[in-house]
Amino acid sequence: MEEAKVGVFLSDCGNKISEILDFNALANYVKNVSGVVVVKRNSEFWRGEGLQTIVDTVKSGKINRVVVAECLPKLSEVKIVQAVEKAGLNPYLVEVIDLKDHCAWPHRKTPSEATEKAKAMLLAAIERAKLLEPIEKLEFPAVKSALIIGGGIAGIQTAVDLADLSFKVNLVEKAPFLGGLAARAGRFFPTDDCAICIQSPTSDVKTITHTSRKCVYRSGFSEIPDLNILTNSKVVAVEGVPGNYKVTIEKKPRYVNELKCVRCDLCTAVCPVKVPDEYNAKLKTRKAIYMNVPNVHPPVYVIDESVCRFHDCAKCVEVCPTDAIELDQKSERITLNVGSIIVATGFQEFDSNVIKEYHYGDYPDVITNLELARMVDGFGPTGGVIVRPSNRKPAKKIVMIQCVGSRDRRYNAYCSSICCMVSLKHAALIKSAYPGADITICYIDIRTTGREHEDYYERAREMGVKFVKGRPTEISRDPETGKLIVDVEDALLKRFLELEADLVVLAPAMVPAEGTKELAEILGLELDKDGFFKEYNAKLRPTETRLRGIYLCGGATFPKDAPTTSLHAHSAAIKAAKLLTTGKIVKDQRTAVVNEEYCGDCEFCPVTCPYGAISLVPTTEEHFVARVSDLLCEGCGVCVGTCPLNAIELRHSRPNQMLAQMKALMSVNGTPKPLVLAICCSECGHTAVDSSGMAMMQYPANVRVMKVPCTGILQVHQFLEAFRAGAQGVMVVGCKSDGCHYEVGVEKAEKKVQLARVLLKEYGIEPERLAMFNMVFIEGDKFAEAAQMMTERLEKLGPLQLMGGS
Amino acid sequence: MKPGKPEKTTSLAFSNLVVSRLGGETITLCYQCGTCASSCPVAKITERFNPREVIKLSLLGEKDEVISGDAIWLCCSCYNCQERCPQKVEIGDVIYALRNIAFKEGYIPDVYSKFASAILNDGRIVQVSKFVENKRPALGLPPLQPTGIDALRKILSATGFDKLQKKKEETP
Repeated sequence: MEEAKVGVFLSDCGNKISEILDFNALANYVKNVSGVVVVKRNSEFWRGEGLQTIVDTVKSGKINRVVVAECLPKLSEVKIVQAVEKAGLNPYLVEVIDLKDHCAWPHRKTPSEATEKAKAMLLAAIERAKLLEPIEKLEFPAVKSALIIGGGIAGIQTAVDLADLSFKVNLVEKAPFLGGLAARAGRFFPTDDCAICIQSPTSDVKTITHTSRKCVYRSGFSEIPDLNILTNSKVVAVEGVPGNYKVTIEKKPRYVNELKCVRCDLCTAVCPVKVPDEYNAKLKTRKAIYMNVPNVHPPVYVIDESVCRFHDCAKCVEVCPTDAIELDQKSERITLNVGSIIVATGFQEFDSNVIKEYHYGDYPDVITNLELARMVDGFGPTGGVIVRPSNRKPAKKIVMIQCVGSRDRRYNAYCSSICCMVSLKHAALIKSAYPGADITICYIDIRTTGREHEDYYERAREMGVKFVKGRPTEISRDPETGKLIVDVEDALLKRFLELEADLVVLAPAMVPAEGTKELAEILGLELDKDGFFKEYNAKLRPTETRLRGIYLCGGATFPKDAPTTSLHAHSAAIKAAKLLTTGKIVKDQRTAVVNEEYCGDCEFCPVTCPYGAISLVPTTEEHFVARVSDLLCEGCGVCVGTCPLNAIELRHSRPNQMLAQMKALMSVNGTPKPLVLAICCSECGHTAVDSSGMAMMQYPANVRVMKVPCTGILQVHQFLEAFRAGAQGVMVVGCKSDGCHYEVGVEKAEKKVQLARVLLKEYGIEPERLAMFNMVFIEGDKFAEAAQMMTERLEKLGPLQLMGGS
Repeated sequence: MKPGKPEKTTSLAFSNLVVSRLGGETITLCYQCGTCASSCPVAKITERFNPREVIKLSLLGEKDEVISGDAIWLCCSCYNCQERCPQKVEIGDVIYALRNIAFKEGYIPDVYSKFASAILNDGRIVQVSKFVENKRPALGLPPLQPTGIDALRKILSATGFDKLQKKKEETP
């Protein structure tokens, strides 16, 4: 490597901080540091004339490392790095420190101590800069195609968006027809329109304008050239990396040729097999060859292979005028090459049969919301009439029970969020069709959070729907009349009621769709405690996952109503498009690298890596080494902290760089107080230091801050090195334990601090000299307090006695 | 709670006290759905006891009303409520925790007090008369065994039960 020639650029922020820090002393100090060839001063270096000075110096070829002391954290760094790159120097050979917020302001009451600390900070930056190495930008090919798993509202909306953006889209649905739960639900709040209404594709046939909404079956979305719809199919294997996944799909036979079927209905007329129609709440029967409802997509029959007699009967084959029925179809495996994967698998109703006291599945007149939805639907089995399944007579007295299996710590502790609205919608729809209907809703709390949602509650009350605040204990049945009795306390009136009902409708919890767990395993995704897919960050990255290239939307992450599902779906589409749109993924090589000479035969790093970036590669018959995918690696360094052989390093944060920085920070003392090294993660830890400085909170200048990518990178021996370098105490400052930006880093760091404290005791060092702190950006006060506390603690302990001294 | 009565500053203290007692840990999970009340065979026949109300009063810190009243002693410990509670509030056990607090503060109905002295004296809740005892052989039951009263007294004394009971007996 060529010799490092460092240019140091000192900004005094327009005299704001030169009143505190002695800039002449600082300039003189850095001039004499070996390797420094240029020292310049200005009021600012991150824009205008100052920035031009840096650019000119770089272009002149005098320097090949840039150290800037600026006063605007983070933003100035971005500006300077961009400019340096333009000037022709690798942007990772730049080190920017903040003398204002990290030194002058928090120590303004002790200016001479602050100046000494500033020297240490500059020295640390220079020493680190000298050891920095250029980091290259890598390009990975990305296929402009996506796989969408789940053909409900979320999946269809995402598919249309991406297909409109001319991505090749594969939409996979495990059922024989699209629509998911939404299609069964019939009508939707808050628009009261059809559930299968979707936004039309903009590239669609001329009869449709870009603002129109159409049914799934009228929108023409299935005819978008780049949209490949695979029903009756499921994902069985996924391998590869973002931008380039190989997906194996198993497509079950439909036994009806999609291209030949003309929907003439002759086959269903002759089919002799009748079974209860699950889709329609078993309120009617269907044949072995069937369609759910007339307006489904694809508009083609399917044969239910669990009941069909196939060649023993084959009556349908005889009558089919187009020879569309193919009883010998076999299930096939399809391999797809896609750039990204979007999970839109949704949710389903909880099995209410588990709650025995409600007798669902036992009393036919106890049904669920989804079953009621089929009755409310004009296309449904009763043509919109509300009946008692036991005798098909109209149901006049209806009791609805909310929170069945949700807000229930025995089954699902969470509120399913949509069921209050579903029940209110049903009550209002029934009341408007049959004003004489007697409807009572038993609730714990009515939750109508959402635009226009409270209107439904109000309308239901206006229409005379009765509300009882109380969760029923039991449903019983009069053996003679067959009437149901709901046993409930009206908690507001403190009165016990036995509500008579023709029909009881349960509002079951919404739980993750069947197969969620298996799919999570195939994709390598995490589930939350309730079994839903876990997003990367609920606030800022609600559609992203820990794995770049795989996205989530709709009910797969939590029960959602249609408007929220649409929002989520469009958001996932734009994220997937962003990744693939240029046909390549550009990523710098700030990644981990394995020294294969030392690495061998353990599995620590691949198991620990939160991004699945490390795999084991065999070297000989019995040995293997770890290898890092530059595409998947996020550069956190958790693997580094885990490696027992020091065989893995981060290119942008090598151990020698860290050690040089550490020594430099401890080399300039100039304070009567004991030196403290605060090792802060680059996320919340370091920004908490920024915010304490910005707010001019005061803490002593003996506390010196060192930035690492994530506290997970730290190894136990580094704490010992810090003491040897002259630290009297070490603070490790990371994110909150459930808020680590790299998932597991802070948790690993905490364990290492604990272990190190045990070791310190063995070495005769007081363990309280090492402490872990967790904070977020806005907790600058917490950092200042911790720094103060640590200093006082060390003062009480007295000077550190090290054995050996070497 | 009487209307217009100002909220007590001790409310948190009392619910914390219940939480700290064996059996009372789950009381704060209650969201007043009333499943317990509609499950309760006692509440159905008397307005003097409603488990939902006992919990609500305890959470609001109405200590006096809860521990000096007779409600908590009317629970028949059938555990229907506990079985069906969607929040896993251990209602039956909460009631026991409340009874323990009440007893410690000197509130115990006479009938329970009599049980207590029977346990301390004979090791049995109910005194068995000679008449009843003589019927046992005819019913095919073995003769009554001695109750291990010494061991029982040691346990009760370790819990402070004997002192509390004595204090109760001494106060008119």
